[in-house]
Amino acid sequence: MGNYEIALCIGVVAPLFMFAVLAFFGHRIGKPTSGWVAVIGVLASLGCATYVLAGWLSATDKAALMATTGYDWVVLNLFGNEMPIEFKVKLDGLTVMMYFMVTLVSTCIFVFSIGYMAGHSDEVDGQCKFHRFFCYLSLFEFSMLGLLISSSIFFLFVFWELVGLCSYLLIGFYFDKKFASNAAMKAFITNRVGDFGFLLGLMLVFVFLQTFDLDQAAANFRHQYATGTGIFAADIDILGWHISGMGLATLMGIGLFCGAMGKSAQFPLHVWLPDAMAGPTPVSALIHAATMVAAGVYLVARVFRLLTPDAQFFIAVIGCITLTITALIAIVQVDIKKVLAYSTLSQLGYMIFGMGVGAWPAALFHLITHAFFKAMMFLGSGQVIEGCHHVQDMRKMGGLRKKMPVTCWTFFIGVLAIAGFGIPGMHIGLGGYFSKDEVLAVAYERTYNWEDRFGGHGKDDEHGAENAHSDASREDDLILRSGKVILASGQAHDEHGTEEHSADEHGAEAAHGESATHGAAAHDAGHGGHHDDPVLAGIAAQQRKIPKWMFWLPIIIAYVTPFYMMRCWWMTFMGKPRDEDVHHHAHESPLMWAPLIVLAIGTVAASYMMFRPQLGEAAVIASDAPLVVAVDGEVPDKAQHEMLGLSHDKAKDPHGALVGIVGFSWLIGMGLAVLIYRNGLELAERIKRLPLVGFIHWCLMEKLFFDHIYDTVLVKGTRSVLAGISNLFDMLVIDGIANLLGRGTVRIAEFSGNIMDTGGVDGLVDAIAESTQGASEMVRQPQTGKIRNYILFGTTGAVLVLAAIIAVVMS
Amino acid sequence: MTLRLKKILLLMTPLAIALSFATAPVQAADTDLSLSDQGIQTSADGGLLEALMFYACAGVTLACGFAICLSKNIVRMAVYLFGTLAAVALMYFLLLANFIGVIQLIVYAGGTLILLIFGVMLTSKSPWAKFEVKRSELIAAGIVCALFAGMLLFVVVNAEWPLETDAVVVGSSMTQFGTGLLTDYLVPFEAISVLLLVVMIGAAYMARQE
Amino acid sequence: MFEIGLTHYLVVATLLFVMGIFVMITKRNAIGILIGVEMVLNGANINLVAFNRYNGMSNIDGQIVSLFVIVLAAAEAALAVAICMNFYKNLNTVDVDHGDTLAG
Repeated sequence: MGNYEIALCIGVVAPLFMFAVLAFFGHRIGKPTSGWVAVIGVLASLGCATYVLAGWLSATDKAALMATTGYDWVVLNLFGNEMPIEFKVKLDGLTVMMYFMVTLVSTCIFVFSIGYMAGHSDEVDGQCKFHRFFCYLSLFEFSMLGLLISSSIFFLFVFWELVGLCSYLLIGFYFDKKFASNAAMKAFITNRVGDFGFLLGLMLVFVFLQTFDLDQAAANFRHQYATGTGIFAADIDILGWHISGMGLATLMGIGLFCGAMGKSAQFPLHVWLPDAMAGPTPVSALIHAATMVAAGVYLVARVFRLLTPDAQFFIAVIGCITLTITALIAIVQVDIKKVLAYSTLSQLGYMIFGMGVGAWPAALFHLITHAFFKAMMFLGSGQVIEGCHHVQDMRKMGGLRKKMPVTCWTFFIGVLAIAGFGIPGMHIGLGGYFSKDEVLAVAYERTYNWEDRFGGHGKDDEHGAENAHSDASREDDLILRSGKVILASGQAHDEHGTEEHSADEHGAEAAHGESATHGAAAHDAGHGGHHDDPVLAGIAAQQRKIPKWMFWLPIIIAYVTPFYMMRCWWMTFMGKPRDEDVHHHAHESPLMWAPLIVLAIGTVAASYMMFRPQLGEAAVIASDAPLVVAVDGEVPDKAQHEMLGLSHDKAKDPHGALVGIVGFSWLIGMGLAVLIYRNGLELAERIKRLPLVGFIHWCLMEKLFFDHIYDTVLVKGTRSVLAGISNLFDMLVIDGIANLLGRGTVRIAEFSGNIMDTGGVDGLVDAIAESTQGASEMVRQPQTGKIRNYILFGTTGAVLVLAAIIAVVMS
Repeated sequence: MTLRLKKILLLMTPLAIALSFATAPVQAADTDLSLSDQGIQTSADGGLLEALMFYACAGVTLACGFAICLSKNIVRMAVYLFGTLAAVALMYFLLLANFIGVIQLIVYAGGTLILLIFGVMLTSKSPWAKFEVKRSELIAAGIVCALFAGMLLFVVVNAEWPLETDAVVVGSSMTQFGTGLLTDYLVPFEAISVLLLVVMIGAAYMARQE
Repeated sequence: MFEIGLTHYLVVATLLFVMGIFVMITKRNAIGILIGVEMVLNGANINLVAFNRYNGMSNIDGQIVSLFVIVLAAAEAALAVAICMNFYKNLNTVDVDHGDTLAG
């Protein structure tokens, strides 16, 4: 193991150690100190992360630094060959960036929590819960970092469940309150639904790709695609539903994505995240905004190489639906944390959508910027809630600007970042301006320029769909078509002669480095991110054109986002105080606003500095996925060509093509919010009274009835089905038997009652009673109730049986 | 029978243990060098020595067991039980089941017996409390048990056991146990683990102060 | 006489077994009954190990089963002592003859 891997491991184990310390000695360490103990742990992680990041940034040859080291945890002997389940540390650009982001954000949040939890950890059963909070946080930190460094999808799943557990524990931190424990259960159960799919996907990976290692699985996947073996040779009939190889591969991808749907709270499993706000606010910031919910996106990024075009399309659709409905719901929320929760959902939708359309680096970039500004905004809301003595209703706030200036302005930076503030044409902007708009630009390319790219293949969607379920006879056709793609992309190559040459060299290095570790299969299949790789191009040729609605919905939401965020900020901080009592008490404390400033700086830095180009590098080196698209001008040129990228000049700047569509959305959305809420809530109330608006508002207030539907269909449905079944059973079986017996008895009584009565019944009854009594007297005798006597009788019985056996055998 | 005999019986227990240690090198010298080099016991023709060892162990076992039957004092019974258990452990060594022997000493003689003594101390008003049993009960028990023993012995002695002839028998090793527990016996192993956990919780629950 | 075989061990095991039963019958002390149970289990265990030994010892099935028996016996002893203590708590004695409240 190299130094960097060891550093990563230390960074993972440090919070675990602190968890153990807090779990066993937390109650003795006491109230403020146990928080600092946890901070020490996470600071150690941050130190390790910084060390690794510095090493990564200064390295010239990143491919040489990339590593997957560790040992085999268990070697299974299945299907006639040995399958190791590896416990290995993965070190690549994605891990390093995510690791650094998580540790930095969580350090800020840990420090913030010390201030916040001092007033929010009342005693339950005479036990102070303060240390328990930090105990759980440390465990979460450990699991999250472990998730990031796992090279095996199996261990990824293990840590995945661990973060789910921590999420459950922390949402239900105020378990003495009914709504909190309910929310915790809801989150847990909803996640189970997603994890079930994940598990199925995992099984498919294990059975068909015969490994858990991500790189190896990707190599096997491509090899199987090229040769038409393994999962692509599958031919299964389930309940009359025929699944061909490609279909099964798609199901595998969707299964893996189901896990992401649960954790990242994507439609239809998005219902738990708003309820999860029942947890303490730092938890919402750390787990339900910055890190854990982003793990779903991270998972998709990791398994991206196993996704077929259809699976990617499915992901894009889910992301698109999520980002739309949740953003609409966010407009009407009045709880400050709920607004942030729904905006988180919407932004996660953008990330998933970006993943689905192939904007791999852009989606991850958005993940990182979003983590910073959303954590900051959540902490700001925590500061507000703390300052206003647990008031979360924005209608009671207002005018807090003067009371808590730092919170106000850091929150404003967050609003600008999520709104995508930026000035087109100049390189000035924040957060979403770069990251979200890049996702949109890729979607634009996939929608409108896709046909240019692939020589009209996108046109005949039906053909593509058929091809997705191709059987062996179609394989030749595929190769032919991919040949065309090579031609098409070859022209693109010619435009950048010299640069491409260096790119090829780089790719060759990567291929060499990886094939050395991953053996022959990878080598045969060909490696490295070239798009003149026929296999990759073959898969990529099946990529569909994105329907127009899937491009325009995110664009519309890009206008909605600034509106509701500005509304939230304005209602909270600007205008006149609406509740004197709340306003009077408002204050802020340094332990809590210092992390806000760090995160604000982080937001600005993340928008400009190292993350984006590094993710570009990661895309080049780590992802040899069939389709990774990037358009940002900041990606090094060599990366541009190696990815199946868009080499259109106009696409290089995300705002080049879209400036008219989305460039000033932030201004329009925020301006509209200011116009409406400038003078308090009156105008908004008046708008609400308009006929149609009132109805829509009601729908949105009811969260588009998802909770109602689930409650009715799933919870009540299950109950009523069970009740129906038992009712039916009662009626048919029990009642039937009872009636039958009753009627039978009556008949028999009618038929023979007279004879029995008049005959010697009395004598018989007496005889039976007397003999019963006599027998029971006899039988009662040995029932002494003394255990020793029973043993004696038992032994006597054994002797008799033995004697009988001996007698029989001897005779 | 009485005190003196009991004392003699008690003394025999450490004697037997000492004897086993004394004979161990002799046995090793007899055996095949290559196997004894590996620390694995083999069934060499122990002959007289093995017979002596066996009779000593069996004597101690049965004598202590008989003493338990006769004793009326619970603490003394526990001490005799230690003699029985230790002698049985030695018998396991003679049967080339080293691991079982060690486990017998540790778990039974070390753990279970201590538990019994604790039980005695926690539950009796005085450790010397005696509960007399009716003579008729004693006689009935004696007759039944004698019959039982007689029949069992009859079966044991007369039965023809379908045994494999043993050439040189190699003693069991820890490796065998480890592999066995994690392969063929994994399910009972796991089941028993769960059972132990349940027992731990259950015992703690039952014995706790209200 | 000097050739020790399977039968020798079986005889010892049988006698130990029967003595255990005798102890169970004749002791009124609950702990005494427990001691009897331990003797019975030991007798059975000797059987297992002896059969294992004299069957060529190509496997160690008997020994593993006897290992399970020992473990179970330990668990049983722990529970039994807990039961004895509960018994004592409720009836203020460990005389099992007093535990006949369920007698018919």
